[in-house]
Amino acid sequence: MKALILVGGFGTRLRPLTLSVPKPLVDFANKPMILHQIEALKAIGVTEVVLAINYQPEVMLNFLKDFEAKLGIRITCSQETEPLGTAGPLALARDKLADGSGEPFFVLNSDVISEYPLKEMIEFHKSHGGEASIMVTKVDEPSKYGVVVLEEATGQVERFVEKPKLFVGNKINAGIYLLNPSVLGRIKLRPTSIEKEVFPKIAAEKMLYAMVLPGFWMDIGQPRDYITGLRLYLDSLRKKDASKLASGTHIVGNVLVHESAKIGEGCLIGPDVAIGPGCVVEAGVRLSRCTVMRGVRIKKHACISSSIIGWHSTVGQWARVENMTILGEDVHVCDEIYSNGGVVLPHKEIKSSILKPEIVM
Amino acid sequence: MKALILVGGFGTRLRPLTLSVPKPLVDFANKPMILHQIEALKAIGVTEVVLAINYQPEVMLNFLKDFEAKLGIKITCSQETEPLGTAGPLALARDKLADGSGEPFFVLNSDVISEYPLKEMIEFHKSHGGEASIVVTKVDEPSKYGVVVLEESTGQVERFVEKPKLFVGNKINAGIYLLNPSVLDRIELRPTSIEKEVFPKIAAEKMLYAMVLPGFWMDIGQPRDYITGLRLYLDSLRRKDASKLASGTHIVGNVLVHESAKIGEGCLIGPDVAIGPGCVVEAGVRLSRCTVMRGVRIKKHACISSSIIGWHSSVGEWARVENMTILGEDVHVCDEIYSNGGVVLPHKEIKSSILKSEIVM
Repeated sequence: MKALILVGGFGTRLRPLTLSVPKPLVDFANKPMILHQIEALKAIGVTEVVLAINYQPEVMLNFLKDFEAKLGIRITCSQETEPLGTAGPLALARDKLADGSGEPFFVLNSDVISEYPLKEMIEFHKSHGGEASIMVTKVDEPSKYGVVVLEEATGQVERFVEKPKLFVGNKINAGIYLLNPSVLGRIKLRPTSIEKEVFPKIAAEKMLYAMVLPGFWMDIGQPRDYITGLRLYLDSLRKKDASKLASGTHIVGNVLVHESAKIGEGCLIGPDVAIGPGCVVEAGVRLSRCTVMRGVRIKKHACISSSIIGWHSTVGQWARVENMTILGEDVHVCDEIYSNGGVVLPHKEIKSSILKPEIVM
Repeated sequence: MKALILVGGFGTRLRPLTLSVPKPLVDFANKPMILHQIEALKAIGVTEVVLAINYQPEVMLNFLKDFEAKLGIKITCSQETEPLGTAGPLALARDKLADGSGEPFFVLNSDVISEYPLKEMIEFHKSHGGEASIVVTKVDEPSKYGVVVLEESTGQVERFVEKPKLFVGNKINAGIYLLNPSVLDRIELRPTSIEKEVFPKIAAEKMLYAMVLPGFWMDIGQPRDYITGLRLYLDSLRRKDASKLASGTHIVGNVLVHESAKIGEGCLIGPDVAIGPGCVVEAGVRLSRCTVMRGVRIKKHACISSSIIGWHSSVGEWARVENMTILGEDVHVCDEIYSNGGVVLPHKEIKSSILKSEIVM
């Protein structure tokens, strides 16, 4: 079985992290974002994943070589020479996706974190016999998104409504599709939107069905949602495999600590924290609702909340870092500094406090 | 004769331009900053230039291959594994600099733009017979810099004073040195400052002499000084080789236009403008005190002043861009937009006006 992951784009919303690596390689819960998807696909028997990219192919290709070997799944790139939107990349990769077997293929959006109920989706797809299945997820504020209006009993999609002013439903496109190869016949090789051009046609033919996603869903393409997404992900991990989470008197709530990280005496860590490989958290540190990436050192008595600390950065003694502070790679916050929402580009030293959210370049 | 150019560092002050290329490759007056220095060195007979770098060596090495061939000068890299300061890199490169001939070698700072009176410097060095010569330049506000106190008639350096509170002199270190190979014995391979540790020792032995730089000097490592530096550079070009500057009824003051750039009808360009290769300036455009880098398109009736427009960007019709607006690579300012000092990271589209100086990430 095959899958395509839509990766394209510069990842500008996740800057400064994406100034160091392309977005799919930004770590989430201690592993590259795209690895969460590739592992979910492998687990249900996908043998080949095609990454539709248009930016920094060399970096992606190096990453792939590492992971192809480790994961035992074939990973190839399909490189757009011009941005092809959300459907065009499928046409570009058609020879890889339609292998003559007639099997449907998955399409995932690389920014999405969820429980990936792919097995259930395959069953759903077989049972309705339509041409395409999409996952939808319930949201509280549907007017901000594209709403999918479906017939409740069968899941048959009636229509799509972009940012509806009146309430038409509360389910939005979750960016996970299972498509028959015939869908490829509907897509030309040009910039095309799957939600605006392709799916409405299939829906009109009553051949598009939507399954409501059980469990959490988050588009983690921007820092605020990344932090919320970590909470949802760790909640889910608590239910599925609590042994992966840290425990101890210094742990509160759900905390993920890489085995090579070191945590000092008298710390209080959590809830909703991920600490990456090689990190050193010195004594007396308080961490909550934050991500600490590979190689970071947090010095004594520092206090960090609702923030992301980028690879190989340091946070000084008694520093206070909070309110959506995002430190890029190799950023060094000096002792006793306060950061209230500072967004710091890579290779910087913060020697004076940041009192209100601002970008430090 | 040999030379070392100190390149090291992330170039963070020249962001967002340095998010696309390492600082020495940022274009100034339509050619990479470092090429100005390499050409000046070649012109007085230097046969080998060593670049002391510590960041993005692959990009620098690719550039070098191109230019070694075109310029007919040997260019090598000396890569720091840890930042070695302003003197350490000389120790690292000693085998390349001290070739046994006993000839002195040049050391240049890559951020500096000046008239490079290297021939005069060689004469000066021979005539005083000391161990080291440095170039100094006059500034209006010496208290911001390291001041060099020298004996006026001989140029012998008495001492260095960092950021003096009382007036001791108005000449500062211009970052251009001519050193006997014996200076290398004074430098250990560790992070070392040439101004704080090495030169004071040589000055105490009365072996350090300073020559006052005739002509302009600018450290163009940050945008405001880059823009001022272009004015000084073009003034100098007007005196030395006015045929290189553009002329015509649509030109005011000093303007440099690459031969492959196109300028439309009814424009008014200048003063102090550089327009790079492949640029398209449509009809009715006003440009003053700005740099327009390779591949930029300025659409009709736009008005740009005191700004830098990065590679392959575009500025929309009737857009007004001023007051230290710096557009990174591939930034697209929509029609009729106003930018008052916007600093925009690469691969962005500006769809709403920027009313006060801010970073757009």
